[in-house]
Amino acid sequence: MPDTLAIKRISATPSALIPLESLRSGGPVYSKLVDISKCIGCKGCEVACKEWNDLKVEQTANFGSMQSHKDLSSNTWLLMRFNEVEVGDDLQWLIKKDACLHCEEPGCLFACPAPGAIVQYQNGIVDFNQDQCIGCQNCVSGCPFDIPRFDKSTKTVAKCNMCIDRVEVGLEPACVKTCPTNAIQWGIKEDMLALAEKKVETMKRRGYEHAALYNPGGVGGTHMMYVVPHGDRLEDYSLPAHPVASPAPLHGLSVLRRVGSYLLGFGVVSALAHFLAVGPESPEDEAWEPKP
Amino acid sequence: MSPPRLLRFTFFQRAVHWVVGVTFVVLLLTGLAFSYPSLFWLTTLIGGGPAARVLHPQIGAVFAIGLLFMFVLWVRDMFLDAPDRQWLGAIKHYAAHEHDKVPPAGKYNAGQKLFFWVQSLLGVVFVATGLLLWFPESFGPGLLNTMRLLHYAAALSGGLLLILHVYLGTVAYPGTARGMIDGKVTTAWARLHHPRWSGERVEH
Ligand code: HEM
Ligand code: SF4
Ligand code: SF4
Repeated sequence: MPDTLAIKRISATPSALIPLESLRSGGPVYSKLVDISKCIGCKGCEVACKEWNDLKVEQTANFGSMQSHKDLSSNTWLLMRFNEVEVGDDLQWLIKKDACLHCEEPGCLFACPAPGAIVQYQNGIVDFNQDQCIGCQNCVSGCPFDIPRFDKSTKTVAKCNMCIDRVEVGLEPACVKTCPTNAIQWGIKEDMLALAEKKVETMKRRGYEHAALYNPGGVGGTHMMYVVPHGDRLEDYSLPAHPVASPAPLHGLSVLRRVGSYLLGFGVVSALAHFLAVGPESPEDEAWEPKP
Repeated sequence: MSPPRLLRFTFFQRAVHWVVGVTFVVLLLTGLAFSYPSLFWLTTLIGGGPAARVLHPQIGAVFAIGLLFMFVLWVRDMFLDAPDRQWLGAIKHYAAHEHDKVPPAGKYNAGQKLFFWVQSLLGVVFVATGLLLWFPESFGPGLLNTMRLLHYAAALSGGLLLILHVYLGTVAYPGTARGMIDGKVTTAWARLHHPRWSGERVEH
């Protein structure tokens, strides 16, 4: 039985930047593959996600769309977005399975200040530990896919955990298991990449000349990949064309951190140096005011 | 016999100063905890990570109100005059305690006045950026990251100034801290550090 829960990165520790390597590395690395052309919009995956993860049901209302909820929430980790888009003369649903993509380079984890609140496993899963989370929501602005959601009542953040408790015992995530058309598949990432290649070929042959794999390099690739029929219209799927894991400001922050520690250190050292070199000056010092 | 002493800060001024001082130190420590993983343990001082995240902005609000009071109370003494500008030119001699070469200071020397202005300005930056970070749900990630940078840059400048301010107010010039504790300083202290102010006090 391969060890699937070896840790790769822990937020706010050195391993966030330099991934851990150990004897336990080298196990299987998984990925979901979502074939959007096969999705029939049944939302079975949404229900399975709620059920397996025991997430609270939220009241839904018709807002003029086939979509169930308007947005993700701390209790809705998966949402099939029904983007209504004109393609040629057709009105089409460019459906997006909106959930955490489990980035290889997770912007959420890089941005998190709380040690251990976000963990990335060697198998590719990025998981939040609510018991370590301080609720700062830095991860929300660190995520290029707008995934983590803050819960006002628990003051922590939640998102898809790739059914880590299933994966850990050799099962596929609940959404994968439930999908009636196999639009969501699960396996070793390399196998999924090969499968995706075939699917893209087939689609191209069938006239989707822009069919493409979505596995963005700006975040080091993801562990939920998409095969997108209209690869030239990523924005219409609400998929960012060029997501980046550590946006410039985060880099800026780490530079500033370095500068900052020198600056504060400089303050302390110069005060000390002044004290030792020049010393205090007090009106009692005879040198200053010799009594007449 | 204790030496004659002058009133330097009223009770209200001292209270406001210490509200600002204490809140700023707590803000700085918790802020550093959020910025440096190796200092995360500092959050323990006010009840752990989640508590620190909740309290930091609330203490920030108290700090901001305090700073506003401080500004209103002290601003009229803080404009730089001609001798102050000469004082800045002679700042090296001030640091070396070469009194004969330093133009006499009034109630505050030019360094203190600049400190006041810079801290007030930083206060505005803290509040403007901090308010956005307090309610991140309402803003986009790009804006928040920029605010985080500005907030952090302000904190570092404020932190550096605080170190120097505390050093000068306590260790470097014995007798100064008394002015912020019971409000009174000795006439000898005043004549040494703030001759023009002590002069005014004696004459009037
Ligand atoms: C907790 C550490 C602090 C200590 C020990 C401290 C100490 C002092 C002392 C002794 C004075 C009187 C100086 C004099 O009589 O000339 C003073 C004045 C002053 N303090 Fe503080 N202070 C602290 C924090 C702060 C903070 C955080 C601020 C503002 C953000 C601040 C702003 C001022 C200002 C504007 C003055 C008047 C001008 C000056 O002396 O520079 N202080 N402080
Ligand atoms: S999609 Fe967002 S929340 Fe998920 S791993 Fe990537 S950065 Fe983190
Ligand atoms: S909200 Fe929680 S998980 Fe997100 S960055 Fe802050 S501490 Fe980390």
